[in-house]
Amino acid sequence: MITTQEFSYIPGEHEAEKASNSYLMSLLAFIAGLPFPIINLIATIIFYLGNRKDTFFVRWHCTQALLSQFTVLMMNSVGFWWTISIIFSDEVITRKYISYIITILIFNIVEFIATIYTAIKTRKGIHIEWWFYGDLTTLICKPR
Amino acid sequence: MEAQKVDMFIMANGKFFESHHVAQIRDRLLQLDDSKWVVIQTLQFKDPTTSLIVSLLAGSLGIDRFMIGDTGMGVGKLLTCGGLGIWAIIDWFMIMGATREKNILKLQMYL
Repeated sequence: MITTQEFSYIPGEHEAEKASNSYLMSLLAFIAGLPFPIINLIATIIFYLGNRKDTFFVRWHCTQALLSQFTVLMMNSVGFWWTISIIFSDEVITRKYISYIITILIFNIVEFIATIYTAIKTRKGIHIEWWFYGDLTTLICKPR
Repeated sequence: MEAQKVDMFIMANGKFFESHHVAQIRDRLLQLDDSKWVVIQTLQFKDPTTSLIVSLLAGSLGIDRFMIGDTGMGVGKLLTCGGLGIWAIIDWFMIMGATREKNILKLQMYL
């Protein structure tokens, strides 16, 4: 699911720090913004915009962090509003609801661990590509 | 400019710039006229670590942005209470890079 790839050049100390920060920041915003799933996406978008003129390595990792947050937002938003509708309307807790909540819980934990792992590795200048998101990022993010 | 002077400058001020810019700065300084050495030597740069400490303590009031010279962003942060906290969190991770960028812009004015 997570692979270590060769990057086109060896990133500098501060480049690695910035790239790692994009993952760390998304984690912190995720925790600070709970239970609202949109906070971490807003934070990652602003961080990406702030670094859009930076080096290729930094931009690449900011884009990967941003794309991963999109999926988390979609899944968590559905879970969030479903829960709200159960609390405030006539909706009842069904087996589908419970299985969905378990699914997003597992997804969030996996994403959380993957983000921590990537932040640690990227800080050392190692280029980490995620399954699907890595290819998508390569398509979107091009060197100048 | 003499290589010895340039290396001395890099040693003393290297931490104020992005690591990937240092080689570029060195080359530019080597090509620079000796008469500019006095001006270059007296330049005062902002410390990224100080910016980070200010950001952690008073980031919600935008003081970190005021400190590095981003007055517009500072006012924006002040009026929105650090972008309802989100902008303040983002700046904890961005302020060191922003300070280094400001330092290089300042140096470029004299190169």
